[in-house]
Amino acid sequence: MNTVSETKTDNTLLVDMSQVAQARDTRALERLFDHYAPRIRAFCLSSQPGANLMADDIAQEVMIRIWNKAHLYNPSTASLNTWVFTIARNARIDYMRKNGRYQSDIDPEDFWSEMADENADPFREAQQQRDQVRIREGLTQLPSEQQQVLSKVYLEGKSHSEASEELGLPLGTVKSRVRLALNKLSVIIKR
Amino acid sequence: MLSCHPTIDILTEYAAGSLPLAHSLGVSVHLDQCPHCRDQVRRLNNIGAELFSEHSAEVRPDHMASLKSKVMASLVNHEETQAAVDDNTAFQHIPRSLRRWIPQGFNDLNWMPLTPSFKLATLSNESGGAQIALSRVKPGARLPNHTHTGNEITVVLKGAFSDDEGLYREGDFICRDHNHKHQPRVTKDAECICLIILDSPIEFTGWFTRLLNPIMRYFHPNSAAT
Repeated sequence: MNTVSETKTDNTLLVDMSQVAQARDTRALERLFDHYAPRIRAFCLSSQPGANLMADDIAQEVMIRIWNKAHLYNPSTASLNTWVFTIARNARIDYMRKNGRYQSDIDPEDFWSEMADENADPFREAQQQRDQVRIREGLTQLPSEQQQVLSKVYLEGKSHSEASEELGLPLGTVKSRVRLALNKLSVIIKR
Repeated sequence: MLSCHPTIDILTEYAAGSLPLAHSLGVSVHLDQCPHCRDQVRRLNNIGAELFSEHSAEVRPDHMASLKSKVMASLVNHEETQAAVDDNTAFQHIPRSLRRWIPQGFNDLNWMPLTPSFKLATLSNESGGAQIALSRVKPGARLPNHTHTGNEITVVLKGAFSDDEGLYREGDFICRDHNHKHQPRVTKDAECICLIILDSPIEFTGWFTRLLNPIMRYFHPNSAAT
């Protein structure tokens, strides 16, 4: 049941997104804001607990980027969640780069190549949706220790070695838990 | 078909955004040429997207409302913005993520000759972080014997080289740690240009080339600390 309602939400968001891209519909952007802004804030707060100002700044920045880049979004190369996640991830990295411990003139936006260059392909879109559903269902069935490392790495933005320090586990254990999880989610592509 | 790819651990950290920026740059240059790893990263992004979209925190509604009006108010000026996609012309062979530093092609960079057959051009120094540079080696030349004091990522941009462990061609991604001591040799047919990302300076172990070590340290951003 849950899956059905999730998919419905996804479709509503997708309609809003295309309204933003094609009609520059600010109402649609407000609905996207209502859905995504709390998630972007939560995503930032998991890496920097208590940093509410940073979370607000990044949420704002991401929503503006969504508006400005709307015409670049192509549903056949990435689900909307994935697209917004990568923007939020990049914005978080960018924020840390500008305000963090060490300065760098590398711009994470330069890494967008992986998303931008795929040709539209209807089979890929269907494949994309199947992958997403499989991952969504698979995540809930992972053992808690594997869920824990995935959330350290993805949500808190910890490297494997930082995760191993914080969890008090050997680096090898962290790496193997991540890999086990990836295997269970059938995410690893065999060569 | 490329033979050397980043490990799944590296790709996961890349997708999660927890890989150091300098290393991420190396991965992205590889992705530019490797559809297989691009596909892999796309799937890894999907995991992040699921975790991201399932994870929300409670916020005061009035706080969100004021944040929303801030966003809506700042849209006006941006409405016409169209990100210019820069994939023009003469420098197609330079990976997109490096074009910012190499706008006029390889020859135009500030190359520093270290030996008669080996030159280095620094692209970026993160303060306290890694050194990002290009190495350029003449056809058939051997690189001085050296070891790494930290991790080193190499991505081949042009030509090919080999060492005891294999042959590396354009697009290949090689990650070496400090236990590794090697003497790369460039193939005879063409010069070889590589992107190198050094966590700490290279150390030459040869008799004569040891004299270069102070130079290597001098140009590395970490050197100020020592």
